[in-house]
Amino acid sequence: MKRSAHLLSLMLALALVVSALAGCAGETVEEEPTAEEPVAEATTADTFTYAQGADPRGLDPALVDDGESSKIIVNIYENLLKYNDDSTEVEPSLAESWDISEDGLSYTFKLREGVKFHDGTDFDAEAVKFNIDRQLPPLVTEEMGYAGFVFGSVKDVVVVDEYTVQINLTAPNTAFLANLAMSLAAPIISPTALEAGDNSVMENPVGTGPYKFVEWNKGENIVLVRNDEYWGEPAKTKNVVFRFIADNSARVLALSNGEVDMIDGIDATVVDQITEGGGELFEAAGMNISYMAYNTTTSPFKDQAARVAFSQAIDREELVKSLYQGYSDVADTILPTFVPGFDPAVEQVEFDAEAAKAGLAAAGVTEVHMISYTNPRPYNAATGVSLATAIQGYLQKVGVECTIDTFDWTTYKEKVKAGDYDICFYGWIGDNGDPDNFMNLLSDPDPTMNVARWQDPTYQGMIKDALLLPNGDERNAAYAEMETYVAEQAIWLPISHAKTLAAYRPEVSGFVYHVTGNVFLKNAVVEVP
Amino acid sequence: MLKYVIKRVFMVIPVMIGVSIIVFSLMRVFSPDPAPIVLGQHATVESMDAWREANGLNDPVVSQYFTYLTGALKGDLGTSYYTKSPVTGEIFARFPATIELALAAIVFATVVGVLLGVVAAVKKNSIFDAVGSLFALVGVSIPIFWLGILFIMFFSGYLHWFPSGGRIDVLLKPAEVTGFYMVDAVIEGNWVAFNNALDHLILPALALGMYSMAIITRMTRSSMLETLGQDYIRTARAKGISETKVIGKHALRPSLIPVTTVIGLQFGSLLGGALLTESVFSWPGIGKFTVDSILKSDFPVVQGIVLLVAVIFVMINLTADLAYASLDPRIKYSSKKER
Repeated sequence: MKRSAHLLSLMLALALVVSALAGCAGETVEEEPTAEEPVAEATTADTFTYAQGADPRGLDPALVDDGESSKIIVNIYENLLKYNDDSTEVEPSLAESWDISEDGLSYTFKLREGVKFHDGTDFDAEAVKFNIDRQLPPLVTEEMGYAGFVFGSVKDVVVVDEYTVQINLTAPNTAFLANLAMSLAAPIISPTALEAGDNSVMENPVGTGPYKFVEWNKGENIVLVRNDEYWGEPAKTKNVVFRFIADNSARVLALSNGEVDMIDGIDATVVDQITEGGGELFEAAGMNISYMAYNTTTSPFKDQAARVAFSQAIDREELVKSLYQGYSDVADTILPTFVPGFDPAVEQVEFDAEAAKAGLAAAGVTEVHMISYTNPRPYNAATGVSLATAIQGYLQKVGVECTIDTFDWTTYKEKVKAGDYDICFYGWIGDNGDPDNFMNLLSDPDPTMNVARWQDPTYQGMIKDALLLPNGDERNAAYAEMETYVAEQAIWLPISHAKTLAAYRPEVSGFVYHVTGNVFLKNAVVEVP
Repeated sequence: MLKYVIKRVFMVIPVMIGVSIIVFSLMRVFSPDPAPIVLGQHATVESMDAWREANGLNDPVVSQYFTYLTGALKGDLGTSYYTKSPVTGEIFARFPATIELALAAIVFATVVGVLLGVVAAVKKNSIFDAVGSLFALVGVSIPIFWLGILFIMFFSGYLHWFPSGGRIDVLLKPAEVTGFYMVDAVIEGNWVAFNNALDHLILPALALGMYSMAIITRMTRSSMLETLGQDYIRTARAKGISETKVIGKHALRPSLIPVTTVIGLQFGSLLGGALLTESVFSWPGIGKFTVDSILKSDFPVVQGIVLLVAVIFVMINLTADLAYASLDPRIKYSSKKER
């Protein structure tokens, strides 16, 4: 009797909740079209809604450093140059053409005429000078995180005439062109807006791009509207809303419900949920590398033979497949495939357990001290610990005992700086898509960048020379040669390039999800039946 | 009475100083250095040091605290390290959302909680009592974030009754007057926006209010049972007063005194503790913002929010205590009697 009363009360409780909620719902349902309505011709929706995980830090490209800001910035601003849709090769944008002086020190840009900022200010050579000057000494501040990287080699900016600007460098640097296409530091802001905003447009951005800023509801969304005076072909959809949905599965559900049209920041765990909810998956190659680095300054790995033998013990194909379930590609090169200088002919040390065993025994390697990080990183979703543990397993098979010390990311960076390890795990997220941005890590004097602590004069010479070569086949070949050299020396064992995952409604088309992680929505449309 | 109120208001000052010292010290002892977080991947040792110097982080902690306190007294809570916007602006951009949600949750919790509690007490050991107790048990036991996810999956993902998150469809948003979208919608006379905001509010308010509802149900039930056992209730019944009147007038009012305190405390914790609900429902309030700021070592923001929540907490307690007086005329405050 008592049990049945309890059961009855449970059922009543459920009924109460459901009926109470049913009473409140009403209005939302009626928006769905009924089956009897005649099917109209396909048109496109007025609004494109994109959901990301967090608010941008701000919308002044000189003052931010995060991807969430970057995605919005590229739809509001434009640069002198832009990347090709499918790679990091540069193309004209606000600059129609450019000349580089013989000595590689002077870049002269011919600017597009008749372009206006969203506030009506004319885009001209003065505007370019204003934007770069603000990021050069003496005006630059330490909060301009990318000013040094992008404009560090700039000596001065000279206005030649209204639509011609000359940028002089202190040393030749071919990567400078790629810097000008970056979504941080390089986008051109209306000088009027910067003056009005006390040298900051964090919350009221004004650019020349296809979308104009409307409002930012903190923690909630940012609204953009089409720039009808755009110099090129105007954007296809009238409004773009960037929504901020922190929870991964809530973001996926919002997509499945049709509340948003596209989402990013997802991982392999929600892929099934997306496809079951009728969403389409977008896998973009990522501009990153996850690698294992040998400490080349201490025994045993200052010896090349020991490094090669250790690398031979690891089956990277199997490792990457099991750790990342297809959402990372095995890295056969340091450079991602779309970066100029990538060469498929480069070969890393091959997996060969027998040779590894013999080599390690010959080199006297029996115990190895590894350090790794406990958190996932953009280039390694599986965490550094999982990666280290997997490698520990391979080495056990060839008779080498690996001890792993693990730390949270901030502490880990301190440990890397201290240098007390035989092997460490690290990665890099590309900044500008230039090969130098990846390859110079191995020549950097700073041990927190060059974690293998490799100081090789031959390699450092190669890096220096390649910076002087103009973009093109000769320069690309120089980087391919560097890749081969590093692979032979076995300084790093490149592990994987993580893919970037996004998802969208089947009605969505026209977006450009660039390898830099930016999303260009100028041609994005949502079809409505 | 007035003296009591004034005294209680002045009590806020030592509380605030205590709170500010604790949060100030905790952030500086346990949070990582903000410089590398603020300056990012390309920070150098020199740029980090220059930044620390510019933001006063190289000064002795005591002098940093007094600089902060002087600013706070003038209403300047500083500038966020991360977004470079004034902290007061950052907080007030998000605070109406938190209040709106907490109010909706506490209204739900109070109405349902008191109702269930009264019914459970009056019909003691009946099926109603069992249902009420079950509700209370479920409400106390289920973690809010999990309940939130279940709500979203069922009511939004499966039934499509409600949106899965957010406060309103942005293109319907009414002109901002109070920052409370439903109030603003009424001011504008925009009923489409009102309904849309309500749709967005229901699920998070239910999820957030569930725990408080359970506590209030239990409190009301036990308090009501105690009152119903009093002699004067028996007398009232003996006089032939209708049962509705006995319960509604003679029993309910004194029973609500402890419940009022609980409601006040619950509302305070809803304001400060809506973090999980806000995250699950993408509700743009201060809860989520607080945690993000802690993770980014954004000292000024964390300090600002904690101070604000502390003030509100103290004020709510005061209001609840004052509400006592109107519910129970016997209570006379003397300077010695404090809670």
